Amino acid sequence: MCNRSGGLIQRVLEAEGISSVGVSIERKFTEEIKPPRSIYLKWPYGHPLGEPGNVKQQRAVMNKAFELLETATQPGVIDDIPFRWRREKYD
Amino acid sequence: MSNFSRFKNRLLAKALTRFPILARMMAAKVKPLEFDTIPWAPLRGPLKEMKVALITTAGVHLVDDKPFDMNDKTGDPTFRVVPSSTPAENLAITHDYYNHKDADTDINIVFPIHRLAEFASEGRIGAVAERHFGFMGHIEENHLDQFINEQIPAVTAMLKEDGVDVVLITPG
Repeated sequence: MCNRSGGLIQRVLEAEGISSVGVSIERKFTEEIKPPRSIYLKWPYGHPLGEPGNVKQQRAVMNKAFELLETATQPGVIDDIPFRWRREKYD
Repeated sequence: MSNFSRFKNRLLAKALTRFPILARMMAAKVKPLEFDTIPWAPLRGPLKEMKVALITTAGVHLVDDKPFDMNDKTGDPTFRVVPSSTPAENLAITHDYYNHKDADTDINIVFPIHRLAEFASEGRIGAVAERHFGFMGHIEENHLDQFINEQIPAVTAMLKEDGVDVVLITPG
């Protein structure tokens, strides 16, 4: 439900002219709420940026979010990030 | 809500984190909200010139601030201000609907406050906003009107006051 609330926040911000990008770990809510820009990770609840202490992983997720912000051209995009949970190497 | 109910919620939250399939089954049961249009605010300029704020729905707030209301089982639509200079040890999480054991050890996995500061010092973004914002994302239908029409607009006004261009939103 955190993902639904986040999407609702994005909708209000964008209507007021503030750009936003959301990290989603529950695709169903993101599809339904239609925030303007989201990245989706099939990761467990409580871990949208990854694992504690894994700075490279957290940065990789942030980079994906910011890249979408820079490249998205139409509203409602959900970028499926292929990072596997605990089985990915980050540089 | 009784202590037993809170205990039950936390136990469920642990199970949802360990078995994501359960979380998806529960999500499938929530009544959908419907929207026809999608608002769109284009990025105002290059990201390296943008001022960025964080909003999380992971229940983050200052240790000294009022915790989110866990006794109302339909949620709490209010928000907490988190100054971007807040040290990690002054942050707390109040949210019984996901397991935040890992986030308690590293807040950045739900609220990337230190990562954002790094991106600013490296020039990837222009600046970090003075204020970030925490919500507790378990907000059911009876609180949605207040959430959408009062609480989020109040945050939006503060973001405008701070000259924020971009917001990164993270769940719990």
